Amino acid sequence: MPLSFNNFPATTIPDHAEALRAPCKQFIAETIGDMPPHRRARTWAGFDADFSRKLAAKGWIGLTMPKEYGGAGLDPFCRFVLVEELLAAGAPVAAHWIGDRQSAPLLLHYGTEEQRQFFLPKICAGELFFCIGMSEPNSGSDLASVRSNAQRTDEGWRINGQKIWTTYAHKSHYMIALIRTSGTSEDRQAGLSQFLIDLSSPGVTVKPITLGTGDTDFNEVFFEDVIVPHDALVGTEGEGWSQVNAELAFERSGPERIYSSLVLLDLWAELLGDEPSQSDKALLGKFISQLAALRSMSISITGLLAEGKSPVTEAALFKDMGTGVEQDIPTRIAEAVAADPFASPDPELMRTLAFLMQANHAFSLRGGTREILRGMIARGLGLR
Amino acid sequence: MTENGDVFIEPFRRLVADLTDPAAIRAIENGGDWKFMWAVLCESGFLDALVAEDAGGAGLSLADAFPLITALGEYAVPLPFAETMIARHLLSTAGVEAPEDIPILLAAPSSIQPFAGIARHALVQEGVAIALVECAPDGDDPFRLRGANVISAGKELARFGAESDQLLHTAAAVTAAQMAGSMVRMFDMAMVHANERKQFGRPLSKFQAIQHQLAVMAEQVISAQISARSAYQVGGFDLARVAAAKVRANEAAAEASAIAHAVHAAIGMTEEFDLQLYSRRLKQSQLAFGSEAFWAPKLAKLRLSAGCHTTADFIRTKLQDNPAV
Repeated sequence: MPLSFNNFPATTIPDHAEALRAPCKQFIAETIGDMPPHRRARTWAGFDADFSRKLAAKGWIGLTMPKEYGGAGLDPFCRFVLVEELLAAGAPVAAHWIGDRQSAPLLLHYGTEEQRQFFLPKICAGELFFCIGMSEPNSGSDLASVRSNAQRTDEGWRINGQKIWTTYAHKSHYMIALIRTSGTSEDRQAGLSQFLIDLSSPGVTVKPITLGTGDTDFNEVFFEDVIVPHDALVGTEGEGWSQVNAELAFERSGPERIYSSLVLLDLWAELLGDEPSQSDKALLGKFISQLAALRSMSISITGLLAEGKSPVTEAALFKDMGTGVEQDIPTRIAEAVAADPFASPDPELMRTLAFLMQANHAFSLRGGTREILRGMIARGLGLR
Repeated sequence: MTENGDVFIEPFRRLVADLTDPAAIRAIENGGDWKFMWAVLCESGFLDALVAEDAGGAGLSLADAFPLITALGEYAVPLPFAETMIARHLLSTAGVEAPEDIPILLAAPSSIQPFAGIARHALVQEGVAIALVECAPDGDDPFRLRGANVISAGKELARFGAESDQLLHTAAAVTAAQMAGSMVRMFDMAMVHANERKQFGRPLSKFQAIQHQLAVMAEQVISAQISARSAYQVGGFDLARVAAAKVRANEAAAEASAIAHAVHAAIGMTEEFDLQLYSRRLKQSQLAFGSEAFWAPKLAKLRLSAGCHTTADFIRTKLQDNPAV
């Protein structure tokens, strides 16, 4: 088998990382102990700047960033433990999420020393929130076709174009955007670059998009002759595509790909009472079995990343499978809850369920669709 | 796996690969003589791989033995060799001398008893004891794998103290690992077929619909492997790990067989084509020693009574990978 469990070596979280777990649990209990489940169910879509600043005060944003840049200088296992605890509890981590998971590591790897010194301490302090400008109206899964462009001028780069589905652009300070610096969308991956865009710059317009849930996480972002300084370029001009791809294993391998419905699963389990039905127990056991294998996979990938490897196919396989389970949990719990129309379900359970039944479609869209991921797995199997 | 186990796995795989020519598998399944293949397996010395070194075995741990057991499923060895290895380990640990070189079943409660048509000895559980008994098959062999719907136990030869349901946990764990092995073989066959078979002027493997199905099959097989591996990491067969492994193996088996057969289409269903050797066995295993409907509620009950705050806590404390053992 070209891709097998040997790609996922059995891996233990080291003690120094486990040591972080108890303080995390205590912090979570103190900060969001009384937050109702339907709000906790938003997890990494829940924006709470105040919570993020409290987390930063503990030194828990930018955990893997070097201390000289305001980070904690810890390894990916420590971040796994922290993120696992935050997500399992449904902590509202969205404000700092992108900066912590993607922007800070990107700047550490590809940024200039000046960029690192300016941005990383502010990300770690919970002062600067980031969003990612990838999708455009005509570039979804076909990301290489982006048209937003930047032209070098004497005063800086002049950016024109539009991004869409930009999570929390309306509450973020900066966007790291994938922008064309040469050629046309026909040139595909060539000629793309990454830019740091201050969202308060003249010419930037952010228009929130309201979803069917009533939530407003997404935005359209328009750039009209936006001038950013020359040093807003991240990494190498024209290498944006490979820089974006280098981060994919980090973006796709974490607990956020298996725990998005965990608050619901645990609330439902708690309400099952002393004598749960055989079918409810069968459902709970099935999800535990699936999640346990997935958690092992996530820890394996964390270990590979800690060794400096880039397990992109493994991460795609994990994410495709994990998001499938996350999506299945609300669907199957809905079936179980309404199995008895004579019983009145708990109102908080219904609020949580209603949210996740509508939100779960996103789980296999964000961070690479199911179809893109399966294509990557097929490539890993040598089929394309 | 320890270095100890690493040294053993490749020679064992070669041995098993040489022995399991599909014609030899078919001959045994069709009622032919099985004693030659059994004798070669016994001569290899692996029968006592798990028996302690001071008792004349190789002293492998369960974690070391895991790849041996999955290999038996991968090559569709039509004999209860894994079961006998484990049975001899249990007997030896209890200080009971095992009968020389004969197949021994792990005859825990099951809707079907694999290999009951071959072995004349079995371990059976009675409360907090396990007994070694003579046995005979009873009823049909619905999968034509020399199994039987039930076995009837005869004369008791020995008895030793055990945890309640220990034999069932053991049999389910041995089955889950062999199922993972069978799925690996079916995956490899589906890949070969998809690359060789052409329709509409190109190999099946170039069609996106086929690529995506194979991607899903890979996910299912890997997840079943990881889940089964976890059952072999704590020194004994623990309820939570076994339950998770058999649930995952059964669910994955259903999806993996469906995809492997869909990729092969009609040829995969024929007696002549080898796919059915693996899928038939996998399907019998789904019925053996409890299905997901049996094991999943047990796992849920553990979760609900564990006093864990979240399911993540339960998984971490009960089901986390433990490569050190």
